[in-house]
Amino acid sequence: MSTPSTGTLSERYIWAASRGIPEKQRAELEPEFRELIADSIEAQRANGLSERDAEHAALVELGDPARLAARYTDRPLHLIGPRYYLDWLRLLKLLLAIVVPIAAAAAGVARLLAGGQVGDVVAAVATTAIGVGVHLCFWVTLVFVLIERQGANRSRPLLEWTPDMLPQLPSGNRRSLGELVPTLVFLAVFAAWIVWQHFNSFFTDAAGDPIPLLSPALWSSWLPYFLALIVLEMGFALWLYLRGRWTLTLALVNLLLNLAFTVPALWLLLTGQLINPAFEAAVPVDGSNVAAVSGAVYPIIAIALVGFALWDAVDGFVRAWRARE
Amino acid sequence: MDDAKAQHVQELRRGTVVLACLVRLATPDYGYALLETLNARGFAVDAGTLYPLLRRLEKQGLLSSAWNTEEARPRKFYTTSALGHQLAAQLTAEWDAIDRSLRALKEGQ
Repeated sequence: MSTPSTGTLSERYIWAASRGIPEKQRAELEPEFRELIADSIEAQRANGLSERDAEHAALVELGDPARLAARYTDRPLHLIGPRYYLDWLRLLKLLLAIVVPIAAAAAGVARLLAGGQVGDVVAAVATTAIGVGVHLCFWVTLVFVLIERQGANRSRPLLEWTPDMLPQLPSGNRRSLGELVPTLVFLAVFAAWIVWQHFNSFFTDAAGDPIPLLSPALWSSWLPYFLALIVLEMGFALWLYLRGRWTLTLALVNLLLNLAFTVPALWLLLTGQLINPAFEAAVPVDGSNVAAVSGAVYPIIAIALVGFALWDAVDGFVRAWRARE
Repeated sequence: MDDAKAQHVQELRRGTVVLACLVRLATPDYGYALLETLNARGFAVDAGTLYPLLRRLEKQGLLSSAWNTEEARPRKFYTTSALGHQLAAQLTAEWDAIDRSLRALKEGQ
């Protein structure tokens, strides 16, 4: 069909533009493209360009054929436009903040209950968090891309904005150092104590060496994990300070950190792996046996652990709710 | 500053391209000739925008079209329809109203 005035570049351009157009309209639009290109070339030639240069310049002026085709068919040239962008962003943030921590924590607990080592648990939590996060981003975005292309006649966002959705003003300025410093000091002291207790104890063995309270066997597995977690808690405290107030994300991360600490600690305690057996044996118990004492003391420690974690996690959500946006 | 000025002028004129097409196409013409007339009169529009626009106006019944095959190359000639003339009159009235309002704003202060 090529006439002498339209060389192969033009034919290729027409083909490329037609590809982006539904079959039904192609026969109708191809002659229009042909006319548009031929007239553009003619105009360039009138500017004094040679045949070849005129064709080239005309196509450069017309630009990307896919863009031209999209203009003809009113097809959007964006994945998610301004109509749905905010809905997409809010929904994605909300889902990521809720689903990722829960899924990651569940994966970690499951691996723990299956008898996994600390490395397994951390790996399960990390891979689940990344996998679930990527999946959420992909599928939510895909749904919105489809909505963007389907609901062409909808002019309103999915969720109508109302003034009730306005965020509360932040109460007061930045959090005071009065909360950050004690938290950091407590965490540092706790970490130092974990190391310290290995070398100092109330009790010494026959050779005069101290008997650590925590099982020395844990140094090759869980104790480094707890120390790393304490560093994360410090980072969290700093993040909270810089953020200035509690948010849903902070509360969820706080919950996750609490779970990451309490669940393994509880499991180690109740399965008798946390406390050094040698330490138990060294405790001078008058008459009664060691098992009975530990049987009475461990549940109390366990309840205290759970209670503290629960209170801390709930407190985070309550504060986030009070300062909600 | 000149860039900003050019952008404001272009934005102000962009909405008038439809009206200019409807007015100009009272006598039949083809896309590229219309493009050159509009550009010569200061309505900045490129071919990749004008051609799809003409097609949309035709679909809305504001323009009618016919292929002219008498010349060396076939060309699609557009003509303003009765509906298009009606809209052109309404848009012109709107334009006059804007003009009056602007004058009133300037003088009223």
